[in-house]
Amino acid sequence: MKNRLKVLRAERNWSQADLAEALDVSRQTVNAIENGKYDPSLPLAFKMAGLFELAIEEIFFPEEGYA
Amino acid sequence: MNTSQVEKNNKELILNVLTTSLTGASLGLLYAYGLEFRMLIGVLGGAGFGAALGFRITRKPPRMRYPLYMLRRVLLAATFMLLASMLYSYLLDQGISQSQRYWISILPLFGWGAVVYTIGLAIASLDELQRRIQTEAIAIGFAISAIFVGGYALFQFAGLPDINLGLALLVMSGAWLIGKLWTLWRYR
Repeated sequence: MKNRLKVLRAERNWSQADLAEALDVSRQTVNAIENGKYDPSLPLAFKMAGLFELAIEEIFFPEEGYA
Repeated sequence: MNTSQVEKNNKELILNVLTTSLTGASLGLLYAYGLEFRMLIGVLGGAGFGAALGFRITRKPPRMRYPLYMLRRVLLAATFMLLASMLYSYLLDQGISQSQRYWISILPLFGWGAVVYTIGLAIASLDELQRRIQTEAIAIGFAISAIFVGGYALFQFAGLPDINLGLALLVMSGAWLIGKLWTLWRYR
């Protein structure tokens, strides 16, 4: 799964630590999601969508060939 | 910094210093008991060193993934385990009956139980990725331990000497550490 988390975070001038605190997760988790090493659970994805005021599919999208 | 923040920081400092002093005092006591020097020196020296360390890590917290209160819990449980194990060795040296020796052998288990309970609490407070990392680390650790312990059993049947069962715990800890490092690297 790919995502636009890094871009969205940069647009708001947030650090990984700021985002982690807002989502109540560790900075390590934010980093792993941004780098595509880990796909978040649905509740966490919804939390992110709520925080950025976007739909989930505007943040996360499938790898090519899986759409 | 507002008043409530100052109060919170002071409380944190007191709790950290108390916890590390207690752990230091227990370690000092253990050294004094094992190396046969005055126990009061061991306790006071250990407590002093622990207090200094607690003060230092509160004023300048180390970069950790986990909050300090969790470290305090683990330290307290480990201290309890240490004291229970020490009491066990002390009582065994007191020339007691065989049935009493069996009962006393249960003592360290309470300490181990406290450590397991604290680790359970620590795992419950992790976020989803950290839980996955721990689960994978434990699974890898279990697999490696099974290979080592089971493998040694085969060599034992073939003639190698019996080894202390406590060594299996050491192997498990080492295997868990390997699993943890591997999963941390994987989700870096």
